[in-house]
Amino acid sequence: MKYQSQSIAKLYFIAAIGLFVGQILFGVILGLQYVMGDFLFPEIPFNVARMVHTNLLIVWLLFGFMGSAYYLVPEEAERELYAPWLAKLMFWIFLVAGALTILGYLLVPYATLAEITMNDLLPTMGREFLEQPTITKIGIVIVALSFLFNIGMTILSGRKTVINLVMLTGMTGLAVFFLFSFYNPDNLVLDKYFWWFVVHLWVEGVWELIMASILAYVLIKITGVDREVIEKWLYIIIAMALITGLIGTGHHFFWIGTPGYWQWLGSVFSALEPIPFFMMTLFAFNVVNKRRRDHPNKAATLWALGTAVMAFLGAGVWGFLHTLAPVNYYTHGTQITAAHGHMAFYGAYVMVVLTMISYSMPIMRGQKAGNDRAQIVEMWSFWLMTVSMVFITLFLTGAGILQVYLQRYSEDPMTFMVTQDKIEVFYWMREVAGLVFLAGLGAYITSFFVKGEEVKIA
Amino acid sequence: MKSDKTTDKELQIQLASNAALASLINLTILPIIGFIALIWIYRKTQAGTIARYHAVLGFKINIVAAAVLFLVSALMILFGGFNSPWTWVYVITYFTLVHTLFIVLAVWALVRAWSGDTLLNSNSS
Ligand code: HEM
Ligand code: HEM
Ligand SMILES: [Fe+2]
Repeated sequence: MKYQSQSIAKLYFIAAIGLFVGQILFGVILGLQYVMGDFLFPEIPFNVARMVHTNLLIVWLLFGFMGSAYYLVPEEAERELYAPWLAKLMFWIFLVAGALTILGYLLVPYATLAEITMNDLLPTMGREFLEQPTITKIGIVIVALSFLFNIGMTILSGRKTVINLVMLTGMTGLAVFFLFSFYNPDNLVLDKYFWWFVVHLWVEGVWELIMASILAYVLIKITGVDREVIEKWLYIIIAMALITGLIGTGHHFFWIGTPGYWQWLGSVFSALEPIPFFMMTLFAFNVVNKRRRDHPNKAATLWALGTAVMAFLGAGVWGFLHTLAPVNYYTHGTQITAAHGHMAFYGAYVMVVLTMISYSMPIMRGQKAGNDRAQIVEMWSFWLMTVSMVFITLFLTGAGILQVYLQRYSEDPMTFMVTQDKIEVFYWMREVAGLVFLAGLGAYITSFFVKGEEVKIA
Repeated sequence: MKSDKTTDKELQIQLASNAALASLINLTILPIIGFIALIWIYRKTQAGTIARYHAVLGFKINIVAAAVLFLVSALMILFGGFNSPWTWVYVITYFTLVHTLFIVLAVWALVRAWSGDTLLNSNSS
């Protein structure tokens, strides 16, 4: 660690991992509720557990992204962070706001939460992923703006590398698109239309820049490959991400009441969206193949390669699977969507944050890499989580295909609930895979505490 | 000035890269056309070179992929029945996953061709 202020990342990463555990616990609760409908009812109804699961995911990924930025920005800019105190203050504000919001979901009925937080003044609640009370959303904006100011000042007054500029652009986009969550028109078509400006333009737009920047940073560090080579790749990847991803939003405008031309625009542009993810695979493989040194942190290399492959699989392949309008006509909102959502979020954003943590955490703890035994446990956790996520995806895909066939394709379609009964076996298998994932997460956390011979910083 | 030897090596790597790219293209956006391109590149290679190695590797990956993907899918349809939803559960899931595995393998082959290496051994001198 070259700069003292980089260590703020540690705070963010610890919070991220803690919330990750919460997210997965609620995931397995949800999975069980799918097959045992009254499990934990009325204490934790399905809709509440779902909200906690998805909101925790988003919040911990944001902690992960900010932590990653606080670690890599000073080193790239070759100076201390502009205002370390601000980063610390914002950490606590974000953590407290996040915790209060989750507690609000769990302790009071959602309608009461809306009332207490005075949603009436500026109604923004009640939409998937954007369930947070308006006041929490305002808190998120304040945290995001302070964060941008902090890394912006650091970057602009320091060495300007492509990695830093891509990170700054991605984070700015993240903040800007989040503003659409405050726009909540009565017209349901407009509501859905702009809802996707947050959800789609995040994961298939600006977050890809953040991801590419983190991946590029870690790959430079562990492979020693020339910055120039990596920068060229970065340019192509972000150009492709934006060219395909912006208009690709149209793949959500097929059936919500928007004009018919979106079926063409959405299909064509989103069919190209796998390209940036594919390029990231090619990029990571190429750089690791041409590495100039063998970094002692094997686990971080594994995470980086894993991200490159799994993001392509989850976002690229499983996204393409249902992105053409004639296919999406059948698959829209089925378990196919959930299958894709899980593998894409895990493969791209969960894994890239874990890659960064894997690389930087040992350094922040005064070692070059985790000791051998710790790395072996960490690699076990990589395989347990990744393989079980592949199985979760496969089971949900199977459930989705059967669902589409029975409920939407066959000559005499079944009703929704009758279909759900027919595909129950897949939900049981998903739950088992989910428990393996939880075990993998347990191994992951254990890896931070495994003692062994230290790998000293050279 | 470059000696003939290094230019030849660069040429071989160039050919090997084209072969690996054709193989990848055949597996992804342009099936059959990619294969024809691969045959065409193969005919320009000589025995014992890295270019020949990658052209042959491309054939192997694509022929095995075609067999494993189409044959197994066809068998699934044959035994499962065209009108059974379960057939499609297996066929679509299987095809998507295994197809991707071959693509990932072909991507690795491509970066190995770029660095003038075979799949497993680094013989860059
Ligand atoms: C890492 C990147 C990605 C992530 C995290 C992601 C995640 C998601 C999630 C969570 C949903 C469900 C949204 C909802 O209705 O609640 C979704 C829907 C969808 N995604 Fe992605 N996605 C990614 C990339 C892609 C790509 C590259 C494509 C296309 C090639 C794609 C195609 C789709 C389509 C068509 C839907 C709509 C499904 C439906 O109609 O129900 N996604 N995505
Ligand atoms: C890092 C791992 C995970 C990620 C990134 C993740 C992500 C998500 C996302 C994005 C959604 C919303 C899906 C959509 O809108 O289509 C979701 C819902 C859900 N997740 Fe997860 N999840 C993870 C782990 C798990 C685990 C381990 C389980 C349980 C076995 C689980 C069970 C569920 C269930 C049951 C839903 C609700 C689906 C529905 O409404 O039909 N998740 N998750
Ligand atoms: Fe999308």
